[in-house]
Amino acid sequence: MSKAYTRFITSLFCLFLGGLFVWHLLLPDRAQSETENRTLAQVPQLSWQTLKDGSFGQAVEKYFADQFPLRDDWTGLKARLEQLLGRECFHDVYLCGDTLISKVEEPDMDLVGKNLTYLQRLAEKTQAAVTLGFIPSAAEIWKEKLPTGAASYDQTHFLELAGELGLPMADLESALSAHKEEPIFYRTDHHWTTLGAFYGANAVLESLGMETLNQEDFTPEIVSENFNGTLYSTSGIHWLTPDTMEYWVEDTGLDITTYRTGTAEKGVLYDRSYLEKKDKYSSFLGGNQPLCVIKNTKITDGSKVLLIRDSYADAMAPFLTQRFSEVHLLDLRYYRASVAQYVQDNGIEDIVVLYSVQNFIADRNVVLLTQ
Amino acid sequence: MVFSSLPFLFAYLPLTLAIYFLAPLRLRNLVLLLVSLFFYGWGEPVYISIMILSTLIDYTHGMLVERFRSRDKLARWFVGQSVVFNLLLLGFFKYGTFLAENLYLLTGIQIPQSVELWPGMVIPLQNVPLPIGISFFTFQTMSYTIDVYRKDATVQRNLIKFGAYVTMFPQLIAGPIVKYKTVAEELNHRSHNTENFALGARRFCVGLAKKVLLANSIGALWDQQLTAQGAGELSAVGSWLGLMAYGFQIYFDFSGYSDMAIGLGRIFGFHFEENFNYPYLASSVADFWRRWHMSMTSWFREYLYIPLGGNRHGQAKTLRNILIVWFCTGFWHGASWNFLIWGMYFAAWLILEKYVLRGALDHLPAGLKHFYTLLVVLVGWGIFAIEDLSACGSYLALCFGRGALWNASDLYVLHNYMLTFLILAVSATAVGKKAWHRLPSRAQAVLTPLLMMASLLLSTAYLVDGSYNPFLYFRF
Repeated sequence: MSKAYTRFITSLFCLFLGGLFVWHLLLPDRAQSETENRTLAQVPQLSWQTLKDGSFGQAVEKYFADQFPLRDDWTGLKARLEQLLGRECFHDVYLCGDTLISKVEEPDMDLVGKNLTYLQRLAEKTQAAVTLGFIPSAAEIWKEKLPTGAASYDQTHFLELAGELGLPMADLESALSAHKEEPIFYRTDHHWTTLGAFYGANAVLESLGMETLNQEDFTPEIVSENFNGTLYSTSGIHWLTPDTMEYWVEDTGLDITTYRTGTAEKGVLYDRSYLEKKDKYSSFLGGNQPLCVIKNTKITDGSKVLLIRDSYADAMAPFLTQRFSEVHLLDLRYYRASVAQYVQDNGIEDIVVLYSVQNFIADRNVVLLTQ
Repeated sequence: MVFSSLPFLFAYLPLTLAIYFLAPLRLRNLVLLLVSLFFYGWGEPVYISIMILSTLIDYTHGMLVERFRSRDKLARWFVGQSVVFNLLLLGFFKYGTFLAENLYLLTGIQIPQSVELWPGMVIPLQNVPLPIGISFFTFQTMSYTIDVYRKDATVQRNLIKFGAYVTMFPQLIAGPIVKYKTVAEELNHRSHNTENFALGARRFCVGLAKKVLLANSIGALWDQQLTAQGAGELSAVGSWLGLMAYGFQIYFDFSGYSDMAIGLGRIFGFHFEENFNYPYLASSVADFWRRWHMSMTSWFREYLYIPLGGNRHGQAKTLRNILIVWFCTGFWHGASWNFLIWGMYFAAWLILEKYVLRGALDHLPAGLKHFYTLLVVLVGWGIFAIEDLSACGSYLALCFGRGALWNASDLYVLHNYMLTFLILAVSATAVGKKAWHRLPSRAQAVLTPLLMMASLLLSTAYLVDGSYNPFLYFRF
């Protein structure tokens, strides 16, 4: 090797390491990642304690990874390479052709058993009728799309267990399976689409003995053709066609109150400002909140339903407003007071426990129902 | 800190290189000592004290041995003292908990969890966190004093140079076990030139790719198969796929780390000895151990097997010596019964090969010999990897047909990992190296920077993604 050549190799190596070092140093830190829809790690605080127990070192490592220059391009490059190697699973998300499907882990059966008994306790505690509405995720409904032999928890096993409680149950599994050829889940997000939520709403209405909705009565409005959901973020697979998002129900005659900050404020059925951001699904009801009440002034029979719910309900609630005077949505992740008390105070007749199976089997807040 | 991490690659290393090469020649050993202490203290600030203590003790013992060379008994006494001290250090930090637990099981005597020397000063006796790399640096310092006594090395009177040797960050936490005599000359005089730097950087990139791209890519499969075993869903095919995954992972993990260490050493002007020589090409178990973790096996040969008499005092003593060496080799890998069994397992195969199979093996076709060796080694990895003996037993039972022969998830694994396995298998052979040497030098000159950049870019992508990045030899 000539002197000039070894100099060239030496500088190449130094420039790569030193260049990225300086770049990282000069690059201002970001608070949030739009692509990944999460807050990013910041410069960790140094103290003798964190240094001694090693947590400082780990925090620095996280900080480097999160704030690294061109982070999204690196993660995308890695996903591409993995795909070339024949991988079908990317951070617990299966790549199934043009669709991403979140893998459902085998649940902790103790927790599942406990969560189910909490529902029983709620039914015993309150006068209102409790109906179960468990939404199987795409990994169940679209299991034919999964790669051959790919592991994912059998969600019908959970549905059988839930059925043994003897509480009335909306058959969302059949309702969705009957339409599995249609786009009922997003391809890049773990939620159901507005179409999926429509079928879900009818299954719930049916089990409550109410009149179902007609698809012809709605004119879907396409509000985005550029929706890259949560699975797009976690998998690092950035090359699929984005999803289309639709609004079906119009908000005329709806009076919405949200308790996002703890006190009553005026809410919206669709917060269109989210359509400009990455997290477009949050445009339904404006995303997470402890409590939200939607009153339909056109329905005067005084019927009230309470949804104990996760984020799947955001897309479904607009449909239920077409049949109830009041739809109450309560999220146990943020609502800490007694549910039975709330039901009594508001004169609610029907409670629907509306959860995706994937969330319910791992949720640690269901115990709050027993208060 | 480990080499395959973003803070190392994109902060520590560029800064260290800058400081080191900007410093005047006479200060470079001091710089090396200081940056190495920082490197070590990053994860274990408290244990810097052990590192310094160990350095000081072997430094003084080397001097004492030299000073009393004419009085052999005294010199031997000091060698013994150094060995005892190093083994005590290792014994307390690495084996203390294991020994105490088994002492309790055998005799019912309970060693307290901690003692209070005086009010407020509590010294833990059990479950003490393992200082990183202790198995490596105690062996290195031990060999120094012994070598000085044997006149295989001259005494180092300069504390900074000696400190730089003990703490030198490239080999500090995972070897190779660099004997003092290997680098003695280079501690005093070594050449810093761009040729060393370029070759070192190239070697580092090879190691980085082996660790981050090859080892990590297959390691997740081993964990997945262990989970499947726990859920009772592992088949015979699946369990062998798991063992193969682990075998590839540990090889590319450890040899990749050694490559990075050798490369970094070269950048600073040191020539470390090779640590691996295509172990999976071995044609017998004995051959495997001449190719795997060579710096450790040669350490045991030089400082244990041969001093015990080696194979020169009849069959009975040779057998005894083999058993002792492999007991120690197994135990060196970890304070747990499975490592002892693993050591004895290999002792048994080596003895079998030496006395029983020798003739038979020689007549086998090369392919069969190779297959036999891989089988023995893979089963060995099963014992090595699963600390819980009953889990280990049931895993191996699955391998040998206790459960289903195969199931649907094996199809998934094969589909997802077939290409990876193929790449790993080819990378574990000398095919790549041979092809490289057949290339005209001009092609090599063009390809070198391209492949280095590919390694750096892709490894960075994997590290930024922050997925699976364990380091297997970290605990030793």
